[in-house]
Amino acid sequence: MATRNRTLLFRKYRNSLRSVRAPMTEAKSGVGPVIEMASATLLHPKRSYAPVSTEDPGSSSRGGAITVGLPPDWVDVSEEISGNIQRARSKMAELGKAHAKALMPTFGDGKEDQHQIESLTQEITFLLRKSEKQLQKLSAAGPSEDSNVRKNVQRSLATDLQFLSMELRKKQSTYLKRLRLQKEDGGDLEMNLNGSSSRAEDDDFDDILFSEHQMSKIKKSEAISVEREKEIQQVVESVNELAQIMKDLSALVIDQGTIVDRIDYNIQNVASTVEDGLKQLQKAERTQRSGGMVMCASVLVILCFIMIVLLILKEIFL
Amino acid sequence: MALVTSVRDYINRMLQDISGMKVLILDSETVSNVSIVYSQSELLQKEVFLVEMIDSISASNESMSHLKAVYFVRPTSENVQKLRHQLANPRFGEYHLFFSNLLKDTQIHILADSDEQEVVQQVQEFYADFVAGDPYHFTLNMAANHLYMLPAVVDPSGLQRYSDRVVDGIAAVFLALKRRPVIRYQRTSDTAKRIAQETAKLMYQQESGLFDFRRTESSPLLLVIDRRDDPVTPLLNQWTYQAMVHELIGLQDNKVDLRAIGSLPKDQQVEVVLSSEQDAFFKSNMYENFGDIGMNIKRMVDDFQQVAKSNQNIQTVGTNIASLKLYSCKDVQLLVLVTVIICECFGFTEDMARFVDNYPEYKKMQGNVSKHVTLVTEMSKLVEARKLMLVSQTEQDLACNGGQGAAYEAVTDLLNNESVSDIDRLRLVMLYALRYEKENPVQLMQLFNKLASRSPKYKQGLVQFLLKQAGVEKRSGDLFGNRDLLNIARNMARGLKGVENVYTQHQPLLFQTMESITRGRLRDVDYPFVGDHFQQGRPQEVVIFMVGGTTYEESRCVALQNSTNSGIRFILGGTAVLNSKRFLMDLEEAQRISRSGSHMV
Repeated sequence: MATRNRTLLFRKYRNSLRSVRAPMTEAKSGVGPVIEMASATLLHPKRSYAPVSTEDPGSSSRGGAITVGLPPDWVDVSEEISGNIQRARSKMAELGKAHAKALMPTFGDGKEDQHQIESLTQEITFLLRKSEKQLQKLSAAGPSEDSNVRKNVQRSLATDLQFLSMELRKKQSTYLKRLRLQKEDGGDLEMNLNGSSSRAEDDDFDDILFSEHQMSKIKKSEAISVEREKEIQQVVESVNELAQIMKDLSALVIDQGTIVDRIDYNIQNVASTVEDGLKQLQKAERTQRSGGMVMCASVLVILCFIMIVLLILKEIFL
Repeated sequence: MALVTSVRDYINRMLQDISGMKVLILDSETVSNVSIVYSQSELLQKEVFLVEMIDSISASNESMSHLKAVYFVRPTSENVQKLRHQLANPRFGEYHLFFSNLLKDTQIHILADSDEQEVVQQVQEFYADFVAGDPYHFTLNMAANHLYMLPAVVDPSGLQRYSDRVVDGIAAVFLALKRRPVIRYQRTSDTAKRIAQETAKLMYQQESGLFDFRRTESSPLLLVIDRRDDPVTPLLNQWTYQAMVHELIGLQDNKVDLRAIGSLPKDQQVEVVLSSEQDAFFKSNMYENFGDIGMNIKRMVDDFQQVAKSNQNIQTVGTNIASLKLYSCKDVQLLVLVTVIICECFGFTEDMARFVDNYPEYKKMQGNVSKHVTLVTEMSKLVEARKLMLVSQTEQDLACNGGQGAAYEAVTDLLNNESVSDIDRLRLVMLYALRYEKENPVQLMQLFNKLASRSPKYKQGLVQFLLKQAGVEKRSGDLFGNRDLLNIARNMARGLKGVENVYTQHQPLLFQTMESITRGRLRDVDYPFVGDHFQQGRPQEVVIFMVGGTTYEESRCVALQNSTNSGIRFILGGTAVLNSKRFLMDLEEAQRISRSGSHMV
């Protein structure tokens, strides 16, 4: 697709116009504005949010000396959140590797692998939770341009968070599925052995009390079921946690393909909500002024005065 | 390359090289260009956290210098003036200016003059100056569309503005496609001739350097035609999904406004989006007829209900599991019992996990199903109320089949029918008049009188005005297939064979034009070349621009033609997208102006 860059021509015009303008202003104020700017910064060292440009209105040309001014505080919050998201992403890559390692058949117990996986999963969930809580802080009140920017930043971060949560869920579920398959392969053999021997002894069941063999069988199946219960519990817990996060986030995330995802719809809405907000504020001001509270209070005060006067009169005449 | 992709590429290039938080500033026309191809969530991914209109940006004095401003506006004098003010008091840290069409040197001079603080980092021309609704269909969304019907003397400056906007739009399309075409126009239309000649001047003389692209074996073709050569298509009622929605409810920039509908189901948004790029169901159904759509929607609803039912199960089982967990069991037997139950439910736990994973898709599916069901329900109601099945059958007969006597009877019956609305009556009489203009003028007069007596709101003489504009003498194409022998024979053959669907038998005139181009037999007499342009062989890309507006029926025709892989790619564009209401509005407006003009003269 064709484009045409007019920047060179623009700069040429701008420079030639600057040289036309500059002699006139320099004759007028000379070095004045520059000195004013320096003193202004010394006087207001804490003025960190206002951009540099507002401090010297008189200067006409500074040849690109304007830098992007310092942003408001909420930008720090948003940067923190995106930093957390980045960290969570790198931890998820680690988790993937740990899952793969744990699934490989080893001679050892596999307990350290389990530990590592658990700790990684917990860290990631904690990071996601923390980011989600901080995300709520970004909400701003009142219709203004800044609040729109905040809302949009919030939305974009919420989308990233939701995507990460879903990825984590998928990773966990595939890992558990594979793990279960592995355990079942191993456990099935045991169950089969136990099953065949238990069938042989079923006839003698009523006669013989729990023999040692049967006790060990029960203990083994107990251990397996305890383990499976623990795993299921973990799954349920993490599902619940992530469902909670997703529910909170879904309020913020834009549904793609719907009207809310259209730029022109959002612009129209902003215009109308700003107007609505103004009307609400005006209405609130009016009701506050003509507030029932004020009237009640004044009526009570007047009554008090009347009572005091009556009391004094009573004392005088009686 | 499709048009939608071109505009998206332009926007991507605008945003990708600028780092940090950005604010995108648009004007009232570019907001349509951008919104139809780019979504809000994609903008957020590119770190554009605020979108504003150029009119409202100067209202506030809040300085937001941590944002970089990206302007994408049309290079009109009003926009340049607004930019002047905004550059004099810059609110943002950096300014990147992108214009959707060619800038004049004087405009650049004005901007350079006002940029005292030197905040402007770049000034570029990115030619996305059209609204690309579908891959092969674009529009210019022009407001004063009726001007093409008036002779130049009535409003010369207005017509000049109209023509300039069209030329700008066409130039932008070709710059986006990186082609320079050979230009032909419809001989019988002055407006088309004027536009064709001005476009040629722009591309070959004024900005020949800009348009000097790599030559391909065969130059593409730009064909400028006039709506009045085919006044029948916008008057007909439509039965394919996209066209029907526009005809009955109204589709603007791929959005449907449901506010006019009485009662919406709860959770249904008041406005919905119908975009073939974002909605897979719409993409596969937009050219299907009403009956097939009904079946497909029913299937979609059934699929969705299956998913919803399983989700319902999961939710109840999930709460059951949660309640079981509350019992802390020390007893072995109880533990075993619990474990067994849980193991049985383990299958459900998997489903529950899957439910959480798929929740966003589930919500999206629900929204989509609800949207299509609402639209189709509403359209069915309208069809029922306005008796459109009956009316449309007569319309199609008028447009496609012969038989003046039978047509007269049918139209008179419908005019007498109380439940037919005024606009439908007007359309029927117009279609009859266009077809049987010369046959039996007595009956035609009778129809006019009947129409005037039945429809009090009917503007006197509108049908006659239409005949003056688009009557048999003015048309060059063979609209009803009754001019040359070949077409008559073809029609007879079609009549004998029978049609599969009486309601969609009409083919717009555009279909014949495209066929002639495909066969290389577009007549020079009817569609001459501009100046000394010449075309060798068949073109491989053809842009057909219809002055006065296109319809969705024609866009469907183009899309179907493109899918036949005939070796030629067609792109259709117009000054607006018409439905019968819009076409009639343009006619009325033109009639009003020409009447007041003649009074003055």
